[in-house]
Amino acid sequence: MACGEVHSSEKRCCRMISPAHRGQASIEPSINRSDNLFSGKMVFILGVNFPERNLLKKSLESFFGIGNHTSSRLLARFNIHPTCRVGELANKQVLDMTAVLSDMKIENDLRREVLNDIKRLKETGTYRGRRHALGLPVRGQRTRTQIKTPVKLNRMERRM
Amino acid sequence: MFATRALLGRSVWKGPNIVPLPLPRTLPPPPNTPPIRTQKRAATILPNFVGLRFAVHNGKTYQEIQITEEMVGRKLGEYVATRKRFTYKQSKNK
Repeated sequence: MACGEVHSSEKRCCRMISPAHRGQASIEPSINRSDNLFSGKMVFILGVNFPERNLLKKSLESFFGIGNHTSSRLLARFNIHPTCRVGELANKQVLDMTAVLSDMKIENDLRREVLNDIKRLKETGTYRGRRHALGLPVRGQRTRTQIKTPVKLNRMERRM
Repeated sequence: MFATRALLGRSVWKGPNIVPLPLPRTLPPPPNTPPIRTQKRAATILPNFVGLRFAVHNGKTYQEIQITEEMVGRKLGEYVATRKRFTYKQSKNK
């Protein structure tokens, strides 16, 4: 379903760019509304600038800790349609969205929580903590071959 | 993502794996009480274990662990490693 949404929105973009469809585009009210999509303005949501033409759903998902589920729920909460662009938001909606996002545990707060969880496992001396510290798979995967990902990622001192 | 992730490991209807262990009658146990020797690595650590000492089997020997509050809800075996880190030993006779 998500795939279909993206596809349809892209189609709309193409139609606006190509001059052959200009006349047809102006008939549709939805295209008229999004004529200003290429104005290049930015919208400020939770300290991050998003270009106006970006999909709001995708912009929300660019935050660490917000995925498909949470972003859909947020859109539904503010009665915003799923293919809404960032530029189509009213000023109040942007402020409301920012207020809700700032209450949620996302970005660095969430990263810190994950780090602390791993640290606690290590400090209490669990098997899982030890595997994290050794840079080995934590959940019982085989280690005879193919352990490049945990070797790369599992460690005590991680980047935020 | 899943609020009930912790419950997914084991069927809820079973409850925690409660193993009858020879717990001391008096709490806290008097000093110089030997640790509770057990091979039941899968036994869930219950809140009344906090502060006790266990000697848990690692497959070869019994390793002592002191139960703290953070360990409650986990298994005894999680705190006692069963594997040894590989170290190369120089052989004497060539």
